Amino acid sequence: MNIGGEQVDASWFLLLSAVLFALGAVGVLVRRNPLVILISIELMLNAANLALVAFSRQLLNLEGQLFALMSMTVAAAEAVVGLAILVDIFRVRDVEDIDDLSELRG
Amino acid sequence: MNAPLLALLVLVFPAAGAALLAGRGWRLPRIFTVIVGPGVVWLSFLATIALFFDKTNADFTYWTWIKSGSFDVPFGLLIDNLSIFMCFVITGVGGLIVTYSVGYMEHEDDPSYARFFCYMDVFVFSMLLLVLADNFIFLIVGWAMVGLSSYLLIGFWYQRHSAVVAARKAFVMNVVGDVGMILGTFVLFVSFHSVTYDRVFRSLQSCRADLGLLCPVPAADTGSLEVAAFLLLVGAIAKSAQIPLHTWLPDAMEGPTPVSALIHAATMVTAGVYLVGRMHPIYDIAVYAHAAVAIIGAVTALFAATIAIVQTDIKRVLAYSTMSQIGYMFLAVGIGAYAAGFFHLLAHAFFKALLFMAAGNVIHAMHDEQDMRKYGGLWKDMRPTAITFLVGSLSLVGVIPFVGFFSKEQVLGLAFSKPDDNMVHVLWAVGFATALITGFYTGRMWWLTFWGKPAPNRAVEHPHAPRLVMMIPVAILAILSTVGGVVQTRAIGVGPAAVDGFLNSAVGRVPWEGGGAEIAVTFVTMLLAAGLFVWALYSRPWSAYAPWAQRLVEHKYYFDEAYDWAFVRPLDRVAAFGLRGIEQPVIDAAVIDTGLVARAGAASLSLTQSGYFRNYVLVFVGGALVAAVIVLVRANS
Repeated sequence: MNIGGEQVDASWFLLLSAVLFALGAVGVLVRRNPLVILISIELMLNAANLALVAFSRQLLNLEGQLFALMSMTVAAAEAVVGLAILVDIFRVRDVEDIDDLSELRG
Repeated sequence: MNAPLLALLVLVFPAAGAALLAGRGWRLPRIFTVIVGPGVVWLSFLATIALFFDKTNADFTYWTWIKSGSFDVPFGLLIDNLSIFMCFVITGVGGLIVTYSVGYMEHEDDPSYARFFCYMDVFVFSMLLLVLADNFIFLIVGWAMVGLSSYLLIGFWYQRHSAVVAARKAFVMNVVGDVGMILGTFVLFVSFHSVTYDRVFRSLQSCRADLGLLCPVPAADTGSLEVAAFLLLVGAIAKSAQIPLHTWLPDAMEGPTPVSALIHAATMVTAGVYLVGRMHPIYDIAVYAHAAVAIIGAVTALFAATIAIVQTDIKRVLAYSTMSQIGYMFLAVGIGAYAAGFFHLLAHAFFKALLFMAAGNVIHAMHDEQDMRKYGGLWKDMRPTAITFLVGSLSLVGVIPFVGFFSKEQVLGLAFSKPDDNMVHVLWAVGFATALITGFYTGRMWWLTFWGKPAPNRAVEHPHAPRLVMMIPVAILAILSTVGGVVQTRAIGVGPAAVDGFLNSAVGRVPWEGGGAEIAVTFVTMLLAAGLFVWALYSRPWSAYAPWAQRLVEHKYYFDEAYDWAFVRPLDRVAAFGLRGIEQPVIDAAVIDTGLVARAGAASLSLTQSGYFRNYVLVFVGGALVAAVIVLVRANS
């Protein structure tokens, strides 16, 4: 991959993708604000997209990019649904901590 | 109008009536039920008359019901003189009885009133299907449906425990017969590869033409014919309440009286006689089964008559006398005198329906009291009913000129004069003794009910006269019982023989003739029976003569107790063992323990359902990590 005229090895992109994914996962796990959790999920999705595009380039195969486009679409849909649910919850009550939403306890 | 349509109409009218009453009728005003209930039976009667004057004699196939390889069941109606004769009995006498019910059932509320007529129409339809079917399959359908409608009508007052139990008993007994019928049909199908009367009987007759009157089929086939004939006989005796499947009929008197008149006297219980008559090509060859018909008939006749002597319930006396009279019909068809049996069937339908309906008038006036010892002296209060009851009684006893004399004496006369057959002469003697006992118990019933002083504990002081709608059918039947004999007077050796002539084409002619001795015996029988009828007024209770015999008879020869001991108790014990030995420790325990395990498992599993989003995500991420490690390790190894 050419950056500033220099060929960059694909493994760097994969490493970046793994770091982003791990950040996202940790964010989902430790953060309590629902909005931030949603953002973290987006981060994980985009890390996956980055890995897909990197492989696509490495293997000179366009399918990876197609998959990336596909997962963006899904991410958009997911964001819409997730935000809509959140908006509805906020209408009823003010949620700052996701742990407040534990009514479905068995 | 063309005959196939007419034949179908005979069936369609009662079916439509039942459907109307079941669907909407019970919500409409009562007048609707009053018109539709009896009306459809009379329409059927008119269609039968039209068929009669059409001189139809054919087998109409309407459509194929089942066709599978060589198994072919058409829906067809057989119109010959025998089925027209039976249709006349069913729709004619049935029409009178259903009309009578309009008055008898007046105290029911509207839905029950419509329900009663709906069941009655279902019964008439089923009975017509039974006699009109041209194959064994629809015969069995009709056969089972009359059993069903009998069950429904015996249990009509379903709030009464005794009625429900009686209905169940009748149904179970009838199903024993149905199974016999079905097995018999299987045997015939295996032998002849057909279930239509026409094909079965034609293959029998082609054998006969080859070999004369002697047994025409090879020995093995005669055996299967005997088996089939005996199995069909099981059906016949269950439906006709002959020994040993008779115990349901007296209990069936729990039903409303018009039901007893229609089903348990005039029509359904004579289905066994019809069956033997219809199957006469089989019974003519299956000589052992044929002899069994006659023996069962004669034994039942005597047996039921002796029980009738000690009954105190007026309807039960009539029930046992019905069994006894059907025994005569079995005797007649059993010795090959088919037409004589059917003449007695017709006569019996007249006078027994008359007796039941007249008894119904008495019961109605006595506010449902059926114990004859609590009547007495009704001659003064219910003169028309007493006279019509007397007509029916004399006809039952067989006093000239009532119709019962000509029919019963013809049966006895033919048994007496059958040449070269000692067994039949013994059966004649049994029938002769029965005739005398009939005179006695009929007399006892009439004197107890209508003569003497009112019983001190009589249920009603001033009984009301029956309504006109209840009196007219009784009067019509009384007239028929009085003058009906003129159609056939062969019992006295002279005069017309209309029933024999009408039925000869369907059931064949009796090959022997009676002589002078037979007629002399006939009159002796009549005089003795009539004498006993009168003597019943003066006789002491017969317990004075033989107390042990009275006990035996009062317990109906312990048939109920024997069945209880042989079938009911063992079955109860098996069921009790099944409950305590299998059901509770094995099946119940397995089911309950499965539930307990599931409940305990669910309780522990539900702890993981914390409701905290982060817990779920942690499990999810952890699982994904484990999966990733497994995939990596396997990829590298």
